[in-house]
Amino acid sequence: MEQNTVIKARNIEKKYAGNSALASFNLDVHSGQIMGLIGPNGAGKSTFLQAVLGLVDTTGELEVLGLSPNKSRHELLKRVCSITDVAIMPRWMKVGQVLKYVEGVHPRFDLSKARKILSNTNIKRNSKVRTLSRGMIVQLHLAIIMAIDAELLVLDEPTLGLDLSYRKEFYSQLIEDYFDGNKTIIISTHQVEEIEGVLSDVVFMDQGKEVMSGSIDELNQKFLELRPKAENIEKAKALNPLYIRTELGRPVYLYENVEADRLEDFGEVHPPAIADLFLAVMKKNKEGEDK
Amino acid sequence: MNALKAMIRRELQEHKWGFVYLPWIVAAFMSLVVVMVYLGLTEVNTENFKFSTDVFSDTKVVQQMNEATFDQRRAAIRAGLLVLGIPLVIALGFAVLAYSLSTFFDERKDKSIIFWRSFPISDSFTVFSKLLVALVIAPLLVIPALIFLHLVTVTAGSIYFAVSDIVPFTWVWQAYPWLDWIRIIFSLWMQGLWTLPIITWIMLAGAYSRKPVVAAILPPVVIVLVEGVSLSSSVFFDSLVERVQPWSRAGSFPKEYDSPLGVAELSDIPLLFGTTEFWAGILISFVFIYLIIYFRSKSDYATVE
Repeated sequence: MEQNTVIKARNIEKKYAGNSALASFNLDVHSGQIMGLIGPNGAGKSTFLQAVLGLVDTTGELEVLGLSPNKSRHELLKRVCSITDVAIMPRWMKVGQVLKYVEGVHPRFDLSKARKILSNTNIKRNSKVRTLSRGMIVQLHLAIIMAIDAELLVLDEPTLGLDLSYRKEFYSQLIEDYFDGNKTIIISTHQVEEIEGVLSDVVFMDQGKEVMSGSIDELNQKFLELRPKAENIEKAKALNPLYIRTELGRPVYLYENVEADRLEDFGEVHPPAIADLFLAVMKKNKEGEDK
Repeated sequence: MNALKAMIRRELQEHKWGFVYLPWIVAAFMSLVVVMVYLGLTEVNTENFKFSTDVFSDTKVVQQMNEATFDQRRAAIRAGLLVLGIPLVIALGFAVLAYSLSTFFDERKDKSIIFWRSFPISDSFTVFSKLLVALVIAPLLVIPALIFLHLVTVTAGSIYFAVSDIVPFTWVWQAYPWLDWIRIIFSLWMQGLWTLPIITWIMLAGAYSRKPVVAAILPPVVIVLVEGVSLSSSVFFDSLVERVQPWSRAGSFPKEYDSPLGVAELSDIPLLFGTTEFWAGILISFVFIYLIIYFRSKSDYATVE
């Protein structure tokens, strides 16, 4: 295993009642990456992250930080921090009690760091979790994450059910205050827009399989969007766009492996949003299956 | 060790009313009753038990007290303290029952299981820590309240006897069974092990069912009814009743006590270990514990809607 490989997955398979949740799924996540697993509900994102945390048995080869998640879950969780829902915490506990608990059960938790982070918020140590707003619970969860010196952070739909403002706040704080280039983050979501600016790499998933993967830089080179001028629409179409959508009544064309120089003559060119790229790739994938 | 401490602390914080406050509330109430009885403000008069200062107006009783040997005095004090301790033990029983039912259910209901399972603590260790709280820590927490109740009772009685010229102030203190606190705690721990099949069964209901009360009660009721109707016997029901009785009073226990208030000694504990019923209960409990760990490990994203 390469020294900087944090997750190595080869031919991972998982079936629930005969249906494939993961089918020959492969993935490499390296140190310092912020990897997004993007796909619709049922794509297999959560199943894969549960496998990474040793919560489900899979077949195939899976190593996380050089350990087998199923055989060494306890050891692994000392080096991995995971959150499934940032808004969930035991409501009967006081903030101070939560921090003391985490200090007791996590060998890499720095209590003084967590207290310092919380001192910059309105959260009081004597407050019960049930009295905190959802935004405050998210802040508390973040303080705990940031005070754990984990090598890998696993986020499985962490902001599901949260208001947009809390979601944005969560991710911006995560990147500004937590991510330092030495840590690795893997995030699953089907709300692509909210993590778009955060990711270094993405894997598009559907029906337990990888549909496409790559770094954001690679994708930005490979895929381009064109908003053609009215007189150039026919010429733009002739270049075989991968996907066509409309924006404010104007067509927008998405191209794969077409040089920017060729497109710039027809209109405004820019890299596609991840959400649009995802839709295009999924459509192409579906068309391929139909054929 | 830090992890175990943190987990026990968490359990006690969550269930502080049952395990921390309730023994003191009961002890404070009982102490109040005792003091009021000695002040002549009230009396306890039930079918099986009478506690009143009226009894000391009988000169025969006073004479018996004055002539009592050390062993007789100690036996009388022990019997009195045993009766006083019953409400505390019943309160402990209800606290452990409520805890067993809710401890694995509540974490699924409020989804906090997702939070707990995100830390490097195995399901087996979590189940172990919860059993430790129910079987070892909860009985330990009763002891300070029981000691308080004992001391209030003995002090109030000593003062009353001295002031009323019944027996000297030291009559009770000389015969007070100081080592009984150790006997009581070991006895309570043995009770936990004796009742373990019921405790783990109730915990199991909370670990898998959406309606744990029904899941805990219905299967035993069905078994009792089926056995009663098809075999005209009540072996299962009788064994259930045995399990909620004091371990030293169980039918399978090889020793019989002279009086209903005879206390089980520390030396009686090995006798319990010598019974097949005790080990059968432990074996059944291990099956339930295995199932609790299994269901908890599978409920990572499960919730109770």
